[in-house]
Amino acid sequence: MRALAILIRNREAGLLLLIGILTLAASLVDPSFVAANWLDILINSVPALIIACGVMLVIVCGEIDISVGSLLGVLAAMLGLLCSTSAPGMGLHPWLGIAVVLAAGGVVGLCTGCLVVFGRVPSIIVTLGLLIALDGAQDWMIGGGDIKNFPSQLRWLGTGGRVPVDLCIAAGVVFATWIVCNRMAMGRRIYALGSNPASARLAGISEARTKLFAFTVTGLLTGLAAILWVAKFGNVSTSTGVGLELKVVTCVVVGGVAITGGRGRLAGVVLAVILITMIRTVLNFMDLGPEAVKWQRAIEGAMILLAVVTDHFGQRDGRAKGGLSG
Amino acid sequence: MSDALLAIEDLSKAYGGVQALGKVSLGIRTGEVHALCGENGAGKSTLIKCLTGVVKPDAGTISVSGKLLETGDVRLAEAAGIAVIHQESTSFPDLDAVDNLFVGREVKKGLLLDRAAMEKQAVVALGRLGLQLEVGRPLRSFTVAHRQMVEMARALLRDCRLLIMDEPTASLSARETEILLDLVKGLRADGVSVLYVSHRLEEVFALADRVTVLRDGQLVATSAIDAIDHAGLIKQMVGREVDALTRHGSHEGSTQQPCLEVRGLGSSGLFEDISLTVHRGEILGLGGLVGAGRSEVARAIFGVDAYQHGAVLVGGRQLEGGSVRAAMKAGIALVPEDRQHEGLVLPMPISENLTMAALPELSRFGLIDSREESKLVSELVARLSVRTGDPDLPVESLSGGNQQKVVLGKWLANRPDLLILDEPTRGVDVGAKAEIHRLIRELAAQGTATLVISSDLPELLAISDRILVMEGGRIRGELDGTRATQEEVLRLALPAGEASRRAARGNTREVSAS
Repeated sequence: MRALAILIRNREAGLLLLIGILTLAASLVDPSFVAANWLDILINSVPALIIACGVMLVIVCGEIDISVGSLLGVLAAMLGLLCSTSAPGMGLHPWLGIAVVLAAGGVVGLCTGCLVVFGRVPSIIVTLGLLIALDGAQDWMIGGGDIKNFPSQLRWLGTGGRVPVDLCIAAGVVFATWIVCNRMAMGRRIYALGSNPASARLAGISEARTKLFAFTVTGLLTGLAAILWVAKFGNVSTSTGVGLELKVVTCVVVGGVAITGGRGRLAGVVLAVILITMIRTVLNFMDLGPEAVKWQRAIEGAMILLAVVTDHFGQRDGRAKGGLSG
Repeated sequence: MSDALLAIEDLSKAYGGVQALGKVSLGIRTGEVHALCGENGAGKSTLIKCLTGVVKPDAGTISVSGKLLETGDVRLAEAAGIAVIHQESTSFPDLDAVDNLFVGREVKKGLLLDRAAMEKQAVVALGRLGLQLEVGRPLRSFTVAHRQMVEMARALLRDCRLLIMDEPTASLSARETEILLDLVKGLRADGVSVLYVSHRLEEVFALADRVTVLRDGQLVATSAIDAIDHAGLIKQMVGREVDALTRHGSHEGSTQQPCLEVRGLGSSGLFEDISLTVHRGEILGLGGLVGAGRSEVARAIFGVDAYQHGAVLVGGRQLEGGSVRAAMKAGIALVPEDRQHEGLVLPMPISENLTMAALPELSRFGLIDSREESKLVSELVARLSVRTGDPDLPVESLSGGNQQKVVLGKWLANRPDLLILDEPTRGVDVGAKAEIHRLIRELAAQGTATLVISSDLPELLAISDRILVMEGGRIRGELDGTRATQEEVLRLALPAGEASRRAARGNTREVSAS
């Protein structure tokens, strides 16, 4: 019972345990599983990991962003149109394309934030609308076939490096987010705003600046994830990014971030991204065929519920950990 | 005499058509505790909001040490040394003590936070208040009193020169209150000025150097505390002689027909062997200290919680335990202590809150007869003298006392047989209190049996026909409401042993005698 209580209170410990159990189970089926797959699991975590860093900030300050999957699709398509060397691509220099995509991501995030902060529209509605609109835009931009043939400099970001480049970039993003959350005033204000908005205002915290920051960062990071996605797969289709927003929100919630804001740690989110990517990999590995997809969704759904329920008990216990001790 | 720290000149603020503040002028000296009194809705909160920059006044000036303060800017007010501790804790429960102290004004080394420096300063600031806390723990794990003290420390850290305290003791125990009052005295000795807002007049008299009274947005008077007494202060606040504590006198409506009979009610760990009878038209007071099990008994009677032993009978028929629906069907109504969360739907209009419990009578075939509804609403608003410009405004726009009137009005509308009131006037000012008492009596005169739980001794004595006193989950005695004294109630309410000790110290604050 005590052990259970610790696991409920300490989300990271619980997630590590689940990762351990899953690793053990997969190794029992095939001893070579870990050696063959650990790097793939990390690499496959990259897009969700990068975006989750932004979405976590948004959720901690009391809002939500469910448009990131569609945004990634549109930005990937944009990069395709700019940099692909075959029609309809324009074959521009990759750096130019990267700059444009990052800027576009940031601008979309900023606009989302403005609608939420100044337009007083609930973020779930703003980002739901955005999700649908961007989905349409993505289909329209891509038209008939997929966009292929990207310059090798761009592909290097997703395929090169002795230590994979995209993994290094993701690690950098995680580190920077950790600094923001734990070592910078902005992070502290994000937590304060989500914890008690009325008091935050009285403490002189600018709601607008804080939330705009969180949304803009999310947009920027989605742009970064889109670039790495294209670099890795060398292919953009109408299905690029579909469902990613759900995966990201799942990870953030399973990672122990309170959906009501104010609470949650980055470490939990990182572990949750790895765990959920791992579940998908293991299910693939077990080769359950079409069945695997169903299982994957059932397991993820169960985990969200579990996360929310344990969170509830942790809180009722009055000892749920604050978001800042590491 | 010490020099003036803050000067308020002709401050005015109107919300819609209501003049919340009208040309109020007020001076606060360096190192004085200045009490601010007034009924709910007198303009105290608006004045505080103007001072802290949350609200921009329509006219008038505020100057600090002779320098004009630009109004309507939280940061400027803070920079001028004005800090506020609110009635409800404004701390951040998820952040730890250090972050709570520094949020919005972090200590930085370049771009990064200087955690070590902040921790050191936090320990010093809390030490100044005589507190040793684990500063790394999230604030939600602290007691309410400690949270409040962390807020005081936050104010001190910001070189606060005027600390505004808005009902700081509302949710503190007697001991915690004492500590807090001592802290305030310590601040005064350090030269900090305190604007102290409280309904607890004994605190005002114990603490303040001067007292200012507001009524209906107007300044009534500022007096030295020695120049005024309890009765005089109340008179200034209400604008008329009010004796909120007059005895009920005769048993106007009380009959011998039992309405509620409780027989041997018990719930393990909470209360046991509770037997009581409330007659039609009778007001039965249930006294005791906080934690004596009174609210738990009320919840069991109303079916919120189940019980293991005994029975509840309404009008001679046994009531199914643990069912609110059954209790409501039997004609029981409960007005909970926590009115904001359980008694009202705050964002909904006053009118809809008032008629919420009467909807079955107001509707035909499921449709609400809106003409009947508005008739009932205007009748109730007048009868309750709810102070509002428009009954279609949300309930949250009302002051605490007026909100409580709406909660009561809800039940006036559907006339319960048995009304259970849990702390009906907590946090309510003197004037509204008198009106609420009048309403309770009115209901009783109409034949409603009423069970009133109150920790406010004068109130208990004033409105009860009979008083039962609980302690440690048991009923310790019955008193005649028209003859009992505060001392008699206290003697029964205090745990044996503690009674004598407390009597020796003369400390009766736990059963608040406001």
